[in-house]
Amino acid sequence: MKKERFLIPLLLILIWQGLSFLQVIPSYKLPSPIEIILGFKDLLMIGVPPGHLLHHHVLYSLYRVALGYAIAALLAIPLGLLMGWSSKFLRMVRPLFELIRPIPPLAWIPIAILWFGIGIKSAAFIIFLGAFFPILLNTISGVLSIHPILIEAARTLHASERDIFLKVLFPGAIPSIFVGMRIGIGIGWMTLVAAEFTGVKEGFGLGYMIMTARDIQRPDEILAGMLVIGVMGLLIDIGLRAIESKTIKWQ
Amino acid sequence: MSLDLLELSKTFPGKEPVESVHVLENIHHRIENGQFISIIGPSGCGKTTLLRIIAGLEKASAGKVLLDGKELVQGSEDVGMVFQEYALFPWRTTLGNIEMGLEIKGVDREKRRSTVMEYIRTFDLSGFENHFPRELSGGMKQRVAIARTLIMNPRVVLMDEPFGSLDSQTRNAMQEFLLRIWQKRADTIIFVTHNVDEAVFLSDEIVVFSKRPARIIKILKIEYPRPRDRTSEECNQIRRDVLKVLSKES
Amino acid sequence: MKKVIFLFLVTLLFFVTVAHGQPVRIAYLQSDIHQLPCWVALEKGFFEKEGVKVEVAGIFKAGPELMSAFAAGALDMGYVGVAPATTAVANKTVRVVVLAQVNTEGSAIVVKKDGKVQSIPELVGKSAVIPGHATVQDSLLRRALLKSKTEPDQVKIMVLKPPEMIGALRTDQIDAFIAWEPYPAKALTMGVGRILASSRDIWKDHPCCVLAADAKFLETQLEKAKGVVRGHVKAIDFIRQHREEAVKIGVRYTGMDEASIRLAMENVNYTPVLSIEGEKEYVDFLTKLKYIKVDDVQIFVDQFMRPDFVKEVIKK
Repeated sequence: MKKERFLIPLLLILIWQGLSFLQVIPSYKLPSPIEIILGFKDLLMIGVPPGHLLHHHVLYSLYRVALGYAIAALLAIPLGLLMGWSSKFLRMVRPLFELIRPIPPLAWIPIAILWFGIGIKSAAFIIFLGAFFPILLNTISGVLSIHPILIEAARTLHASERDIFLKVLFPGAIPSIFVGMRIGIGIGWMTLVAAEFTGVKEGFGLGYMIMTARDIQRPDEILAGMLVIGVMGLLIDIGLRAIESKTIKWQ
Repeated sequence: MSLDLLELSKTFPGKEPVESVHVLENIHHRIENGQFISIIGPSGCGKTTLLRIIAGLEKASAGKVLLDGKELVQGSEDVGMVFQEYALFPWRTTLGNIEMGLEIKGVDREKRRSTVMEYIRTFDLSGFENHFPRELSGGMKQRVAIARTLIMNPRVVLMDEPFGSLDSQTRNAMQEFLLRIWQKRADTIIFVTHNVDEAVFLSDEIVVFSKRPARIIKILKIEYPRPRDRTSEECNQIRRDVLKVLSKES
Repeated sequence: MKKVIFLFLVTLLFFVTVAHGQPVRIAYLQSDIHQLPCWVALEKGFFEKEGVKVEVAGIFKAGPELMSAFAAGALDMGYVGVAPATTAVANKTVRVVVLAQVNTEGSAIVVKKDGKVQSIPELVGKSAVIPGHATVQDSLLRRALLKSKTEPDQVKIMVLKPPEMIGALRTDQIDAFIAWEPYPAKALTMGVGRILASSRDIWKDHPCCVLAADAKFLETQLEKAKGVVRGHVKAIDFIRQHREEAVKIGVRYTGMDEASIRLAMENVNYTPVLSIEGEKEYVDFLTKLKYIKVDDVQIFVDQFMRPDFVKEVIKK
């Protein structure tokens, strides 16, 4: 059963290679699979810009995303629990968030540079903006989806507000929180390239690597880089799902 | 010593264009400690509302509830409630659910565990300590819910149609189980049900509510010893009396 | 049947005339005073006077981006740095041909006015910003470092777009930047920076921007290309003879103040004559940086640069 999953992608790649070989697809517009693999080799061995190897780019990018994402989660989850719990608080705070949410992270780049300068702080800020809202909104809906009778049951067991918050709201909202976290990391990872527009002080980062490949006109390296970004995003999602299924055994 | 319901009334304010709903009308009754009371009445008449007022989940529009002369406050340790839909915390195991109240109270882990294990044994849940609610049968879930409430030793136990969603065989078994457990304790049980047979089988007293707004229209005392034969003439007679009163309300 | 043939011919004629009537799609770099000949030619209608209709199909923040537009088939001709153009052609992402020079020199390394860096070797361990990899400025910076016996690896070379460079320097986020005029001049007039080295100091008479044409466009619309080159040469003459008016045009197209533009123009040398030797040096340099790999430099340069266009115009 597993083998069949790869049949169609493999077929597509073979057709693609054939079309490239026959020059039906010009290689400067879309390099062939083989060229992309060779480009990937160059990313590993020579690096773009030369001397900056792929695994360093990956590590720096992971670090930036981890920072922005961690801050987003640490802020969004408690805030979301509060907003789900207190409709008064929700009403007060919601208009502000609804105003900020539609603004794409990319649009924040000039402000980010003014506030945080060039470097990891502004990149993490951009990623934070991307990851924050999915986590917040899903946390809120997670709380709101808890059957009110569970809260009443807790009250009849003499729970204080704090008990309800920690022992009912939080555990009850966890499945939704996980959904929000998965969406959040997905968006955060995607925002990476835009975030690295804010300037990359050390000269390392997957987004920066792709932009440089564009500067020196190496579409094969651009595509190889994009594939790396895609694969890493996939691995991160798989990782989160694994944590999720280990944590939520009760559904 | 008693639980006194003093002229309780409840009106829910309406939201335009619905008018306000008058649910309870002057409920006035004394329930002696240690009694098993059933409340029976037409659907939607306010039985659940009364329980919620006693539990402190709802505030009465007028009137008071006194336990041994003192007014009951919300979250009072003297009152416990078992809900119809079990209301088990799905993310907690059997063990986790039953120990919830003790955990909230701050009882230390060791003591908690030993008490909970005792209840698990008594309530016939051995082997299912680490199961999640979704893995339990209806009857088991209800036993967990009851254990969770009783482990806190409330003096008044409120039960809102606890066996409503069970099939009749399990239901009968649960009724017998409940009696066994209760007879070893000294709780007052206020038991809301639709099922006349159930009320007759279990209670010391049946309180019949009218349709909305609910008033107490009949109180029947049952003094037959337990366990009762469901098909006996005495039980049938009481059943006929109750049904007669109820049919006038429909 | 006759109707069908008639319709077909009319449609064909329509497309042919439309194609002939299509304006030449031209692009230039944003706020780059090197591109002044382009702006002058547009303002004074020099292209039109040569019988060529022109439309601005793109204004770009840096050379590599303009080359991407060539690759996408969105441009016919462009004013662009010779280094990004060389890189693109060498890496076979585009086929363009350079028809004329636009300017030589005209960039500068800028540092903070009263800052820590007072000489090029002091850039070691500090951050220096270029507008993009494989730009003229990239090559100039590295050349400057090597000239003063400094390893480029020891300097933190970053990429920012020129509009962001002055702000970054001002807030001490970076220690130095190299950009095309008028950004260095602007840093001066704002009192933010001072010139550490002008590109003339680094490499006298170095070629900078060129006028390039898409190879396919050149094959099919040779006459139009020639017309554009003629307009271009006229514009450069105009700048030499009517400096004041040229300054005003520069102000209009960059949005910057007159003082900065005037100062900037002093650092730029406008000329249409191509430098083959200069180009060979670029190829050599870019190869050393591992940005490109060229099998035969002479063949590459012969195909890439066509000095005959300008020679033809100047003869007349």
